[in-house]
Amino acid sequence: MNAIGAPVIEAKTVGKTYGVGRAPVRALDGVSFAVPEAAFVSLVGPSGCGKSTLLQIMGGLVPSTEGEVLIDRERVAKPMPGKIAIVFQDATLLPWKTARANVEFPLELQGIGAAERRRRSDDMLNLVGLGDFTERFPHELSGGMKQRVSIARGLAQEPRIILMDEPFGALDEQTRIKMGQELLRIWEATRKTIFLITHSLTEAIYLSDRVLVMSHRPGRIVETLTIDLPRPRTYDMIGGVEFGRARNRIWSLITADEAEGAVEP
Amino acid sequence: MRRNVLVGQLLFAVAFLGLWELASRMCWVDPADLPPVTIVVATLVDLLGNPKFLDECGVTLVRVLVAFAIGAPLAVSIGFLLGEKIHLGEIFNPVIHFILGVPQSIFLPVFILVFGIEFLQKVVFGITHILFVVIVNTVAAVHAVPKPLVLAARSFGASPLQIYLRIYLPAMLPIVVTGLRLGMIFNILGVILAEMYGARTGIGLLLFRWGEEYRTPELMAGIVLISVVTIMLNEIMRIWEHRLGRWQTAMDAR
Ligand SMILES: Nc1ncnc2c1ncn2[C@@H]1O[C@H](COP(=O)(O)OP(=O)(O)OP(=O)(O)O)[C@@H](O)[C@H]1O
Ligand SMILES: [Mg+2]
Repeated sequence: MNAIGAPVIEAKTVGKTYGVGRAPVRALDGVSFAVPEAAFVSLVGPSGCGKSTLLQIMGGLVPSTEGEVLIDRERVAKPMPGKIAIVFQDATLLPWKTARANVEFPLELQGIGAAERRRRSDDMLNLVGLGDFTERFPHELSGGMKQRVSIARGLAQEPRIILMDEPFGALDEQTRIKMGQELLRIWEATRKTIFLITHSLTEAIYLSDRVLVMSHRPGRIVETLTIDLPRPRTYDMIGGVEFGRARNRIWSLITADEAEGAVEP
Repeated sequence: MRRNVLVGQLLFAVAFLGLWELASRMCWVDPADLPPVTIVVATLVDLLGNPKFLDECGVTLVRVLVAFAIGAPLAVSIGFLLGEKIHLGEIFNPVIHFILGVPQSIFLPVFILVFGIEFLQKVVFGITHILFVVIVNTVAAVHAVPKPLVLAARSFGASPLQIYLRIYLPAMLPIVVTGLRLGMIFNILGVILAEMYGARTGIGLLLFRWGEEYRTPELMAGIVLISVVTIMLNEIMRIWEHRLGRWQTAMDAR
């Protein structure tokens, strides 16, 4: 087990209803959990269960209807640039800016000087394997390449906490594993706190200290699994007994949950 | 491929002008109604050397430009408010769509009654022609700003002003410029129309008089001149629009 510190993120009975009034949608219901300092925590759950909603509440982008999220024991009411970076589910690159300008845009807003911006954008775009595509516009990149620019943009902000919403969704298996390993390497080197949403159980277990399992909508945390695999993680662990046990456990939670309620296609 | 298109277009232009010349020379149409193109061009050259004619053109040009200078920023500001302030938009957007559907020329007599037949009335008539089409386009431009980009920018720590300048502005610009281009076309139409009916000066008045006096070479020369100028203006703005919107057309094409 890694040296895991005091909670940096605490969600306390967070609830969210969209469109109060006509046709309200209950997205989250009584979500509580804690993320320790420097931990790698993943969130899995069926499509449409409220994962992105939760992440946006944690990022201070949407208000919760009930409950609260604390970051460093402080109630989240607005974004915390510099401390928290978000990698969004759809890459959300500015279409009129090049890959490099996109990576540098948050840094520019945060008042970081040109030379430093340049250094970071070079480093991060190289890291995600896009060193040759720095001057390309988003429409000249594939879906997976856009996602990688978006990851580079998140990492370049050098945040203490990084919230990632299915950052590897559009990547092929091979690139996905490679990017996951890079992320682990950065995490181990910088001791960031990482909160990652993913559809891949394997990815969640392989990368994380803890996996939060969410029910179908309205999302609740039905279980928190601690993953006791040693670090550094290696690819062959995926075939191991402990890995299989964790995966079966999450699988049974998710399928039991589906049998009980609405199944998303 | 592109060259073939260009050659084709050139051939069409030559054929069109040739046919015009021939039709008039061979009296297929009455040359008094449609003088040969060579005579029209010669008349135009004469007119362009005539200071009095140029003065009239200048008068019209100033009216068009003043109307645009007032109308365009006004319309963009109103459109921005109606697009951004949802409650204002709910009230006024349908009204503006209704007004846009009414031919404004029917109000010309009212404008003459209220504003007279001088500079003020021409400019106001031009402005009202710009207003609605630019407002509608600007509202559409605000609505087309991708909300996820705004969310992302907020997470990077962008202030509201930075969001307007760095996200809204570039995202809106291509659509707003389309609106401004249409606004300019309607503006010219409005001013010239106002000059044709009740005016003491302006190129619209000249066209109207030449028509009344059956001076078709001058009339055609005026029509050709205005056509060429407005087509050029339109093309310049379209190139600008295209430059600004390159990323957008590329995105839509995907
Ligand atoms: N802005 C919004 N307004 C209204 N309803 C919304 C909004 N955003 C999300 N929802 C609804 O809230 C529910 C949860 O959405 P959310 O995007 O959080 O799901 P998710 O778990 O991230 O799904 P996926 O895995 O497919 O990304 C959905 O039913 C969705 O329709
Ligand atoms: Mg989502």
